Amino acid sequence: MLEVEELRRSFGGVAAADGVSLGVAEGSMTALIGPNGAGKTTVFNLISGFLKPQGGRIRFAGRRIDGQRGDMIARAGLVRTFQTPRVLTRMSVLDNMLLAGRDQPGEGFAMRWIAPRRVARREQAIRRQAAELLLLLRLDHLAADYAGTLSGGQRKLLELGRVLMTEPRMILLDEPMAGIAPVLAAQMLEHIGMLRAERGVTVFLIEHDMEMVMAVSDRVIVMDEGRVIADGTPNAVQRDERVIEAYLGRTSAESAA
Amino acid sequence: MMEQFVQLLVNGLITGTVLALAGVGATLVFGIQRVANFAHGELLTFGAYAGLLLDVTFGENIVISALGAMLATGVLALALHLCVLHPLRGRGLVATSLVTVGLALMLRDVVFLIAGPQLHSYRINQTTVYNLGIARISPGQAIAMALAVVVTPALTLMLARTPLGKSMRATADNRDLAAVAGIDVDRIGRQVWFLAGALAGLGGVMTAVVQGVFDPNLGFQILFMIFTTVVLGGIGSAYGALVGGTALGLVMELSTWSGFAGGLDAKFKPVLAFLALILLLLWRPQGLFGRARVL
Amino acid sequence: MDLFNPGFWLFVAAIAGTYAIMALGLYVQFSLAGLPNFGHVAFMAVAAYAMAILVVRVAAPLPLAVVGGTGAAVVLAFIVGIPTVRLRADYLAIATVAASEVVRYLAMNLTDLTGGPLGSIGLLGPGQVAMYNTSWLGFVDRLVHAASSFTGMNFSRDAVVALLVWLLAVIAIAALASLERSPWGRVMRAIREDETAATAAGKNVFAFRMQALVLGGVLGAIAGMLLALQIGVFSPDDYEPTLTFYAYLILILGGSNRIWAIPLGAGLFSLLYSGTRFLNFFPLSLIDSGARAFLRLFLVGFLLVLFMALRPEGVLGNRRELLLEK
Repeated sequence: MLEVEELRRSFGGVAAADGVSLGVAEGSMTALIGPNGAGKTTVFNLISGFLKPQGGRIRFAGRRIDGQRGDMIARAGLVRTFQTPRVLTRMSVLDNMLLAGRDQPGEGFAMRWIAPRRVARREQAIRRQAAELLLLLRLDHLAADYAGTLSGGQRKLLELGRVLMTEPRMILLDEPMAGIAPVLAAQMLEHIGMLRAERGVTVFLIEHDMEMVMAVSDRVIVMDEGRVIADGTPNAVQRDERVIEAYLGRTSAESAA
Repeated sequence: MMEQFVQLLVNGLITGTVLALAGVGATLVFGIQRVANFAHGELLTFGAYAGLLLDVTFGENIVISALGAMLATGVLALALHLCVLHPLRGRGLVATSLVTVGLALMLRDVVFLIAGPQLHSYRINQTTVYNLGIARISPGQAIAMALAVVVTPALTLMLARTPLGKSMRATADNRDLAAVAGIDVDRIGRQVWFLAGALAGLGGVMTAVVQGVFDPNLGFQILFMIFTTVVLGGIGSAYGALVGGTALGLVMELSTWSGFAGGLDAKFKPVLAFLALILLLLWRPQGLFGRARVL
Repeated sequence: MDLFNPGFWLFVAAIAGTYAIMALGLYVQFSLAGLPNFGHVAFMAVAAYAMAILVVRVAAPLPLAVVGGTGAAVVLAFIVGIPTVRLRADYLAIATVAASEVVRYLAMNLTDLTGGPLGSIGLLGPGQVAMYNTSWLGFVDRLVHAASSFTGMNFSRDAVVALLVWLLAVIAIAALASLERSPWGRVMRAIREDETAATAAGKNVFAFRMQALVLGGVLGAIAGMLLALQIGVFSPDDYEPTLTFYAYLILILGGSNRIWAIPLGAGLFSLLYSGTRFLNFFPLSLIDSGARAFLRLFLVGFLLVLFMALRPEGVLGNRRELLLEK
């Protein structure tokens, strides 16, 4: 589904992504882990078009997407969330969902006068889709509230809802469990699992909760200092020496030298 | 042709120095305030007229008039800061810009109401010309140059060597860092405003004597050139403004030299400054000396 | 005494309506799309000049010239918009006002094209007085005749123009209010608050912003041409940045996040502006009528500062959805 080759990106001399190559199989749940500053979010930003790569190739469903704009990649079916959920706080929860609906003819500014019925029909369909999703996410009772009144965990769910509205083929989740109450976290996990099982969506996520990662992922990719240092099943990766070293720092052997 | 070049060089240096001095004050204020101040030009207007009052009405000599203008404008700038801009800080970039526009309109039209729209001039003989051999300058230009020669080194020294100057530069360059380093940002802010006002007042007097005749639109006409100077030198960089202003003045004057394929028509000199400003904002907002920064 | 002359007030009403259209254009760019365009007056200038040049030099019929004027404003929107739309808010403000000043300076100095400092009068060269609104006046007279014979009432030119202008203004505001509530408006609101979130949701932020800029430019063009047709002459001095800030004040007076507050803002503004000529009591009577213009401008500046300081949501606005806070 997703192939990344030799991706490169530096900031002021520091290579945040230093020749990153990885692949995510269609329909899988793949985790991207690594110590802080390893470059995981940078890779997400590069893949989703929010950052321009300085080298390398990215292929999504067989087509090259490196260098494309973020909105184009999102419309192609590769959608992402953010570490700190970016919900539109001054819009209602429902409007946040409606915004993300696909293929809305009403977004063309003259369309409501040129093809009013088509616009109305699609708007109705999107409203139905949003209502269903809000119900599923158990956010329906908040539909009319400003998104700004939501708690952190609720915002993450809303962001997930927005992602679902776009009917994606693959989603990039940046720390979906971070900082939310266990009850909501469990819900989140449930929804992600359902996405994969029922809709065949490929999931690629960044996470720090090792337990959860090891339990649910098909595959784990480990990064450190801008490079991929391990790539395999959760068990294999857990036992990989390089991974252990990256997380625990330098071994005592080196410090003695 | 060479003669014209040298003349333009001299003119450019003089114009450039005015821009440089006004620019230093403006860039320090912009660096600390971090918002475009559309009222800055009106400080120059105010200075020009304050000096005029002293010169024509009270009969003082040009030095006293200039000093008086500097003092008066410094106080005005400080008052604007304390009464309007400081209380309204944190309203957002556009809101504060609109407030400065409102202040500019108020200042300019008060001057229009009091002094009238007719052209004024200082008690300088407008017709004599000093022939320096390589170039000719008017008495106004000579006075401006004399003032610049005194003020610029003093200013540079103050900014470079004194603790106050260093604090000012540090705060204008990176306000948060300066606060962390223990600088009383609010107090420095007030002092910077006064200094900016004083320099603007001086700039106004200099512009008035160089132009010969002027009206209350003086400041507005020069406002964008000051913006260009500030952006060119890097917002918050005092040295940058000194270099940027001089460079801009030179470029504007020299652009009319016939050696450059006939030269630009003098009418279009300001357009050069506007275009330079737009291009800088698009491609190099940090100017020549600023660092590329995510503000 | 002017105060009781209905013709005067009808004229003020017509200008108010025109200003409402101008402010509406700015509303689309600033309040809807979040673009602080400080150079709005340039759209008015470019459209007025293009229209006048087409009528006077090419003898184009007025409807065609109006289309030409609008087209010129659209071209300007692209030229200025494409590079600046991605700029940070205050840089965009400075760049746009610098651009509008370039337009004014060019109008002032490219005398062969624009008539130079004389303005529209000089479009046919020295020695001739160029007028571009004769067919407009004829059109208005036909409307007066039609209205009078249809209703039996006596309509003046001023009344017909005022009605026409306000009709246009109301139609435009209604259309845009509807657009605001549409999915297009929804995307705009999102872009205004967080363009990264909008991009992540698959919206082409640049394209939407350009649409707002062009739409606002077209409205500005219409306002500029209406103003030019009503007054009959214009010069580069009429297109100073001050006019853009009138539009901002109108938006702020009414409430910059309420589209239907625009007529109120335009009305208040025009009242205040024209009302200064009636301040014949002490101490304002000390100021001669020529200097009243400066008093008016002072008032505009004062109101800008006052409202921004004390009531940024305007007369009708809603503090919670305040747009100017960023």
